[in-house]
Amino acid sequence: MILQTALLIGLVIFSVLAIVLKDLLKSAISLAGASLLLGIIFFRMNAPYAGVFEISVVAGLITVLFILTIALTKSGDEVRESKLVNWAFPLVFVAFLVIDALVMKGLLGKVPALASGPEAGTFGEVLWRGRTLDLVGQIAVILAGVFAVLALFRKRDKHD
Amino acid sequence: MTNTWYLYVFFAAALVFAGLLGLLGKRNLIKLFIAIGVIGKGVSLLLLATGFAKANIMTAQALVITYIVIEVSLVATALALIINIYRHTRSLDVRDLAKLKG
Repeated sequence: MILQTALLIGLVIFSVLAIVLKDLLKSAISLAGASLLLGIIFFRMNAPYAGVFEISVVAGLITVLFILTIALTKSGDEVRESKLVNWAFPLVFVAFLVIDALVMKGLLGKVPALASGPEAGTFGEVLWRGRTLDLVGQIAVILAGVFAVLALFRKRDKHD
Repeated sequence: MTNTWYLYVFFAAALVFAGLLGLLGKRNLIKLFIAIGVIGKGVSLLLLATGFAKANIMTAQALVITYIVIEVSLVATALALIINIYRHTRSLDVRDLAKLKG
């Protein structure tokens, strides 16, 4: 439990660093670190498949995509951020954490318990039989993403 | 079990709020997508924590995997859009998008 709490605190710290840091490359690497910690948390919650996806796809592939974009838009990191946001961010965030600690337990008590029996079978059975339509949706989303990227990077025709 | 659930939900809410603050305050387009990624991490933590607390971890895992696939597709498309915007405006400032003319 202590280790899990330490991992969760590390996850929040890395995520906040990813937003606050000025250097985009450091931000992307912080986001990858947060994904790595989230993957370890998933493993410790008996969810190894979600952990593997989180580490390989989110910490790996998405970080590569971010770094590639940062490399292709080199002078883009000269965007001037608002100074008000720079000092207001930590204050508002700490205030939210205090409110979160005070209110969340009471809110959770009011969540109605849904009737759901314990799961039976392996993860494969739950994924392929219980969530079949999700998988069809995933295929559609991947195809949509591929076609969107192709459309955005297509070469200009002579008529354009 | 409720205490464990409370701990996860507490941190998930913190992640979502940090992402929302980033979305509201930052001007760099890549930073905005990093903030969206942070919100996504909070949501996937919440999904899995609730599945863990309610003894439905496998369904929660299936949902998280679906979400990760959607996130990859979203990020790939969004970053392609950002590169195209950069080629047009030579800037990643979100305020420059308002100056675009046909």
